[in-house]
Amino acid sequence: MSEELISAITEMRETDALRIARDLLESGTPPLEVLDACREAMGIIGQRFEDGECFVPELIMAGEMLSQISEMAKPHLEEEEGEETAETLGTVVVGTVEGDIHDIGKDLVIFMLDVNGFEVIDLGVDVPPARFVDAVQDHGAEIVGLSGFLTLAYEPMKSTVEALQDAGLGDVQVMIGGGQVDEQVRTYTGADAYGRDAQAAVRLAKQWMGG
Amino acid sequence: MNEHRHRSRRRVIACATVVEELRPLLPPTVECQVFDFGLHANPDRLKQALQEAIDAVPVSVETIVLGYGLCSQAVVGLRSDSATLVVPRVDDCIGIFLGSDEAYKEQTSITPGTYYLTKGWIEAGNGPFADYEELVERYGEEKAAWLMDKMLERYTRLALINTGQYAIERYRTYARQTADRFDLRYEEIPGSTALLRRLVDGPWDEDFVVVPPGETITFAHFRDVAPSPSGEAANQQD
Repeated sequence: MSEELISAITEMRETDALRIARDLLESGTPPLEVLDACREAMGIIGQRFEDGECFVPELIMAGEMLSQISEMAKPHLEEEEGEETAETLGTVVVGTVEGDIHDIGKDLVIFMLDVNGFEVIDLGVDVPPARFVDAVQDHGAEIVGLSGFLTLAYEPMKSTVEALQDAGLGDVQVMIGGGQVDEQVRTYTGADAYGRDAQAAVRLAKQWMGG
Repeated sequence: MNEHRHRSRRRVIACATVVEELRPLLPPTVECQVFDFGLHANPDRLKQALQEAIDAVPVSVETIVLGYGLCSQAVVGLRSDSATLVVPRVDDCIGIFLGSDEAYKEQTSITPGTYYLTKGWIEAGNGPFADYEELVERYGEEKAAWLMDKMLERYTRLALINTGQYAIERYRTYARQTADRFDLRYEEIPGSTALLRRLVDGPWDEDFVVVPPGETITFAHFRDVAPSPSGEAANQQD
């Protein structure tokens, strides 16, 4: 059944995907299983995007399906647990850096971190370094995810890492992603790691939290 | 005669959008190879295409001028065995059209959610506005409209960059209509030919990355290292 869901999502059949997800949840399928299928579908779509087989519109539609299915699953999750899970793997502050307004990839990362058990604070786009610092301090976050799509984003990523260090938050792990990031950009910005997609963000976060 | 020979030892390899702005300034004897704007969406593929083009240039060509910026690092790793490579030291072509990265950063800090258009972009026919018809075909009118809304959600301004090099009225009309259609504030901003003018003929000062034959363009060239004056090789490493 979850194979059907994965196909519906990866084939951009939104009506089918939502119907299948609803049926699965209402027939007692564990909500985590449904979210797992979403995760797998997202992995496939992410790879296709990397390979140039699908593009931004598909990412947006996938994001929308995932977000709606996630909303559907939440009440079932709470039913299972009895109450909202207080235990999280850690807190991650995520935002697109100052001067950049691209957020599609960022939103997918947030979704994936969320379904993987992290508490995620979404700061939105065009976020100046000081707001990242404030958010980390306010929420006691262990991890910061900096998203930036434009080549111009390298500078604000660097400034944000520096701002965190200046505020005595050098222990916070910082990952960068979004556009063309690689080891050179990572070194330049001073970030701890870079990721090419949402799966990488989850992997890194889990690694850092000892999961 | 000497000047003619001298000029043909220079070749331009440029993105279609940059070529539009460069054309009025190019001497007729300089050969210009143009690449599709769409390649920018896949920097690795662009890098490959550029390297292949560089490799195919005859050894009689002394200087290859690249009509690109850092462009998501597509130019990082490029090298020529026989020619000097020259690239504007900007993050991407918007910096070229605005005359400098400083001007680009200023625009970004005023209105980060800006979609830029130039004659070149409009004619290249790429980008969300041009893709709209394709989206309608694939997903239907309603979904296409929703997708466009989503893609433009964080954009507030459509800025037409006017470098003053051609009659802009037609492009102004298109840009204004596009802005209206997709609910963006239209603004025309002055471009600059400051970099474009020097791109082909020099002087290639600190606004350009200049790399001698056999050496590779690196990320550091765009960030930490200042090329030495009068187009000599930038060789210092930190």
